[in-house]
Amino acid sequence: MQTITLVPKEQFKISVEAETITPDNFAGKSADEIGALVAYEGNAPRPLSELFDIKVDGSADAADDVKIEINGNVNRVKRIGEAMTAGLIMINGDVDMRCGAKMKGGTITIKGDADSWVGQEMSGGEINVQGDANYYVGAGYRGESCGMRGGKITVFGNANDFVGEHMCGGEIIIKGNAGIMPGVSNKGGKIVIDGDTDMPGSEMTKGTIIVKGTVKDLVPVYQREGIEAVDGVEFTKYIGDVVVDGVGELFVK
Amino acid sequence: MSEMLIKNATVYDPINNINGDKMDIAVKDGKIVDSVTGSAQTIDAGGRLVYPGGVDAHTHIAGSKVNVGRIMRPDDSRLNNKPRTKVTRPRTGYTVPNVYSMGYGYAEMGYTTAFEAAVPILKARHTHEELEKIPIIDKGGLTLFGSNWMVMDAIREDDLDRLAAYVAWGLLSSRGWGVKIVNPGGGEAWGFGKNVSGLDDPVPNFEVTPRQIIRQLAEANEKLNLPHSIHLHCNNLGKPGNYETTLATFDVCKDIKSKRDRQSLHVTHVQFNAWGGNHWGDFESKAEPIADYLNKNDFLTIDMGQLVFGSATTMTADGPVQYANARLLKARWSNGDVELEDASGVTPLEYHPQSYIHGIMWAIGLELALLTKDPWQVLMTTDHPNGGPYVNYPMVMTMLMSKKRREKEIAKIAEKTFERTSIAGIDKELDWYDIAIKTRATHAKVLGIVEHGKGHLGVGADADIAIYDIKPDETDATTEYDKVEAAFRYAAYTIKGGEIVVKDGEITATPTGKTFWVKSTAPADGYDRMMEDLKMKFKNYYSVSMANYMVQDEYVEHPYVVETGYQ
Repeated sequence: MQTITLVPKEQFKISVEAETITPDNFAGKSADEIGALVAYEGNAPRPLSELFDIKVDGSADAADDVKIEINGNVNRVKRIGEAMTAGLIMINGDVDMRCGAKMKGGTITIKGDADSWVGQEMSGGEINVQGDANYYVGAGYRGESCGMRGGKITVFGNANDFVGEHMCGGEIIIKGNAGIMPGVSNKGGKIVIDGDTDMPGSEMTKGTIIVKGTVKDLVPVYQREGIEAVDGVEFTKYIGDVVVDGVGELFVK
Repeated sequence: MSEMLIKNATVYDPINNINGDKMDIAVKDGKIVDSVTGSAQTIDAGGRLVYPGGVDAHTHIAGSKVNVGRIMRPDDSRLNNKPRTKVTRPRTGYTVPNVYSMGYGYAEMGYTTAFEAAVPILKARHTHEELEKIPIIDKGGLTLFGSNWMVMDAIREDDLDRLAAYVAWGLLSSRGWGVKIVNPGGGEAWGFGKNVSGLDDPVPNFEVTPRQIIRQLAEANEKLNLPHSIHLHCNNLGKPGNYETTLATFDVCKDIKSKRDRQSLHVTHVQFNAWGGNHWGDFESKAEPIADYLNKNDFLTIDMGQLVFGSATTMTADGPVQYANARLLKARWSNGDVELEDASGVTPLEYHPQSYIHGIMWAIGLELALLTKDPWQVLMTTDHPNGGPYVNYPMVMTMLMSKKRREKEIAKIAEKTFERTSIAGIDKELDWYDIAIKTRATHAKVLGIVEHGKGHLGVGADADIAIYDIKPDETDATTEYDKVEAAFRYAAYTIKGGEIVVKDGEITATPTGKTFWVKSTAPADGYDRMMEDLKMKFKNYYSVSMANYMVQDEYVEHPYVVETGYQ
């Protein structure tokens, strides 16, 4: 087991693009080797050693035996855990956009809040956000045809608008409330919202959305199918978006 | 006085009949010369392959539709990103690269000239602003005339001199190089949500047929003695069964005679127009009858429009075909109306080897190139970025050179493809000389820029030279296709106008290339009648005035003007 602890040396004012922070990149490396990896602060390439205090305990042969712990404030550090395939990242605070983007495996736990596009286009693994998540949880990059393709995202707080936009697979669970249009343009996957939301779905061709709280408004593109029980709780089931010949399933209390 | 000597080169220069000769190439002040002094900078090619700089006669590298593609595809601009270097600006994009990357990408592959194949006059200012900013390569633009009101009115009134005068004026106004015709009449019909169904289907409100438009523009083209022939994108493109229209279209220009040593008709991206069947269910290749026609007739040339699997951004002045594509594939769609001149559309799509439709399209491009006997008649293009991005040219070259390379690709493609095409049974493999023809020599000849120093290495030609890191004598292209592709992808040296712009695949300098355009005289009485009609059209129909319409010299800072005259 290799444990790497990162502590930012300062409160970053300019955002840092740190897609190099992954268990795959860190596995088996010493503190110096990790410190030599590059992240961009604005448009300037900087070695990680200039940005973080790095401590390494133990060693590992592969990413699945690596744990990265980030202490201190990284709310201006983007793309942590991008494309990781295995291992564990613990972020003891807030994190900036695109955390866990294109992730294929492993686990990311965020103790604080996650900014927009957490788990963007992820295809495997698990992300737990213990605070709130901002816009586009598990969505796709602008113009991309598929957002999340697999894996699981759990947000224990609230999420903002467009949860799982363009989602093609995987599962998103929002324990709190979600903003407008969760699951817009979906082509697959499952979204469960324990709290309230507004205008779920629309342009949805496939996939499932379950809203356990209140739906303020429903986009008038769904066909009512009747009452159906999910895990012993009765919901009204809708099919749509009929405008795009969709067969997505929407369950509303 | 800058001098350069390339020693020990294995040269293929088809225009000068040089086929793999070991020779030295001398360069002085940006031109090829007989000899240089002893103090010249020397490059030892060490027996490696040397071609004239590549020429692309049909590509989409600048203008409003390319920009629309960029706007529609933020997902594309995160592919192929490269940070800036000391000499290059940052690069983004795969199917629609940013403006700078367009030039760098061509230069890396040893290409030094590329012609934008669709410039509406109304959008020509924008196009030239972009062309000026594309680094390294020389450029030109083909001006769209095929659905233009001025053109159709002159044709209906059977006034060839007026038509010729308008073509001359249109080329001047757009600083264009040649006459491009896209789905003749269809762009106008699309303004009413319609299309033309074939050569003899009259254009709504104009009562002229696509046949007349093609024929008369070809005649006007020859009356003006333009360097390039008409450049035609046929009717019914993108529809199964369209090969019949294509063959009939060839015949329209069969007896047109050119005074120049070139074809009198160039039909572009024929892959999209050699389709058999009545619908997608019985879709099949009809490359064979097209190739047969080419083997029997030498008045025309075509280019492949080869399909490359993966992402593409289709963009064309053929508005209706793009609407059909977007609906069929549930893809994003952008539609454009160019006032009195044409329509346009942009649709991103993905070509999948497991789709037999796409498999057949892939096969047709190669069949056209391989079944046609005369290599000068079929140009290698991908109709960038419609069939696929130009960075895939090296891969297409290896597919033409190696049956084994094709078999490797065939293994990935849906089986049904091979019941409906003959590609799997074609043994022909092109050699280094043929590839030089298909990627530079015939492009330059078809465009009419050989005499302006392009596409060859004769004395007096521009010193546009590509040195590839491969020795033809020691390489068997039929089996070592990976090595060949790697060599073509990143040139060892690209020399542009006597300056080393690429070394070992890295951009080392970014000079600005020139823009070719044609200034033609027109018959005086035809010109007067044309002007009268044109003023009326600007007064009544255009949203801009004539003074705000024409491209001024300020837009073309590095012009290369060729003058020609009405005959």
